[in-house]
Amino acid sequence: MSELQLKHVRKSYGTFEVIKGVDLDIKTGEFVVFVGPSGCGKSTLLRMIAGLEEITSGDLTIDGERMNDVDPSKRGIAMVFQSYALYPHMTVRENMGFALRFAGVPKAEIEQRVGEAANILELGPLLDRKPKQLSGGQRQRVAIGRAIVRHPKIFLFDEPLSNLDAELRVHMRIEIARLHKKLATTIIYVTHDQVEAMTLADKIVVMRGGVVEQVGSPLDLYDDPANLFVAGFIGSPKMNFLKGVVETGTDGRQVRLPEFGNATLPIAAKEAAPGSTVTIGIRPEHFGETGSASLDLTIDMLEHLGGETFAYARHGDGEMIIIETKNGRGLKSGDSIAAHFDPAAALVFDAGGQRLR
Amino acid sequence: MNNGFTRKASAILTYGFVGLMAFLSVFPFIWMLLGATNSSIDIIKGKILPGSALATNVSAFFTQVNAPLVFWNSAKIAILATVFTLAVSSLAGYGFEMFRSRHRDRIYSALLLTMMIPFAALMIPLFIMMGKAGLINTHFAVVLPTIGSAFIVFYFRQCTKAFPSELRDAAKVDGLKEWQIFLYIYVPVMRSTYAAAFIIVFMTAWNNYLWPLIVLQSNETKTITLVISSLASAYYPDYGVVMVGTILATLPTLAVFFFMQRQFVQGMLGSVK
Repeated sequence: MSELQLKHVRKSYGTFEVIKGVDLDIKTGEFVVFVGPSGCGKSTLLRMIAGLEEITSGDLTIDGERMNDVDPSKRGIAMVFQSYALYPHMTVRENMGFALRFAGVPKAEIEQRVGEAANILELGPLLDRKPKQLSGGQRQRVAIGRAIVRHPKIFLFDEPLSNLDAELRVHMRIEIARLHKKLATTIIYVTHDQVEAMTLADKIVVMRGGVVEQVGSPLDLYDDPANLFVAGFIGSPKMNFLKGVVETGTDGRQVRLPEFGNATLPIAAKEAAPGSTVTIGIRPEHFGETGSASLDLTIDMLEHLGGETFAYARHGDGEMIIIETKNGRGLKSGDSIAAHFDPAAALVFDAGGQRLR
Repeated sequence: MNNGFTRKASAILTYGFVGLMAFLSVFPFIWMLLGATNSSIDIIKGKILPGSALATNVSAFFTQVNAPLVFWNSAKIAILATVFTLAVSSLAGYGFEMFRSRHRDRIYSALLLTMMIPFAALMIPLFIMMGKAGLINTHFAVVLPTIGSAFIVFYFRQCTKAFPSELRDAAKVDGLKEWQIFLYIYVPVMRSTYAAAFIIVFMTAWNNYLWPLIVLQSNETKTITLVISSLASAYYPDYGVVMVGTILATLPTLAVFFFMQRQFVQGMLGSVK
């Protein structure tokens, strides 16, 4: 069992607060991803869990034991760093066994554990090489191997794929997912790449400005974001946002979109007060050729990706709208289109960015 | 045509200037080698061709100078000064870079300011301090003032900026204490920086003249630089013998430099790649 809990955890540098009261429960075996833009505090929070940053206030517990003042090496964690942090003067074998050597583990057991990790990660032929003789992907595997040999209760990954090229990143992402399945150990993973977050996580923690904006499964966050920030951050290309005014129509509540020729669409959100300004969020893939609501747009630019096409379109000089379509090969810049969508797919946010339901 | 002429003239001027500078740099060294083969009178006359007095000069040097003793004294001082300076300065550089404190930069600036104080201004207070400590005429009196070198602390701190902080974090997660991180991670990773600092400090200590001249008063404690100086300032200085002494005094620093040349260059460029 290795449950991890954060209770009202805060971190300040002098008077500057970077983590503003985080509460979080992580269950045994979960793959949790901290995601957010640069400077949101996700890496700081991970380093606080690792014991590399002091916790200013609040409690960190692992398996019910308070860990705030426990040495990093005694927390039952292992960490994989963004730059791999392999000791350049040691061979792969020495790097992987270094922590065990300092923990007083017998030589034979070190050999056995290093061998096991090398087998899992296919590092056998590389054990006597120095880090500078390895490629980026191999170094990353050694860094993971160094974590595995410690048999930690929790793995911490700090943007481990950021230094790899696009192809290798996809490959390593699959490797990490496979490893999690095999080891069934809790993993806390930090990234600013929401594709990594969506593909790897059991649970995503979206952060902004030292605050947890929302916690949930990847598809929950995608389909049911709590606010404008999460809605915009999760999903690529990002959700379209349209400014509107709530009105009372003949069939109930509706939103008028002044920037889109005063087009209207009915909304189900009961919390939306008539006369208030709201933001409507529509995912690019929710536009199509059918649907009771529609926007009259002119195509500005097209991105043909083969399987699908992204059309960047506007109404007059208004906001750019991104439309994802499977049938976009015949489109061209300057075409006028009616982008239909189902009003039920539109999310409504208030002027403060909070979701209205 | 005109362009080609300008380019050629420019190249001639450039190579001429560089060649002249190279000659000026190497000439004293060549003169030292040639001088060792000539008699004192020939050297004074300005002879700059190889002579036949090398054996005489070498024999005279070893007759006039207790060579093993003075070389041992120089080596002892240079090695002790280098080892202590590297140990103290690298710890200080590591500390200044790794540990945040409100007063860190003020203390560091104050330390750097000490580089502006000329040694001449420190000589008398240092002499009084060494006298009170009973260290006059001992090698410790030469070694101690060199240990706290502001320049070497500065050099180590600047190089430590390139030391990846994630290595320190990884070592902490691996269970190492701060002194273990320094010893098992920092020192091996920064070995080129140590090599470059070793050469700088060793050469400075080996060639040190003024301070040893003041504090080393007996013949038993004197270093090779002091002995060569005393040979040159004799009533009838034998310059051939002085040149032999100078060549022999140059050999250890040359050996150290050539032995560590690769590390030195890498250290000056930055240890961490």
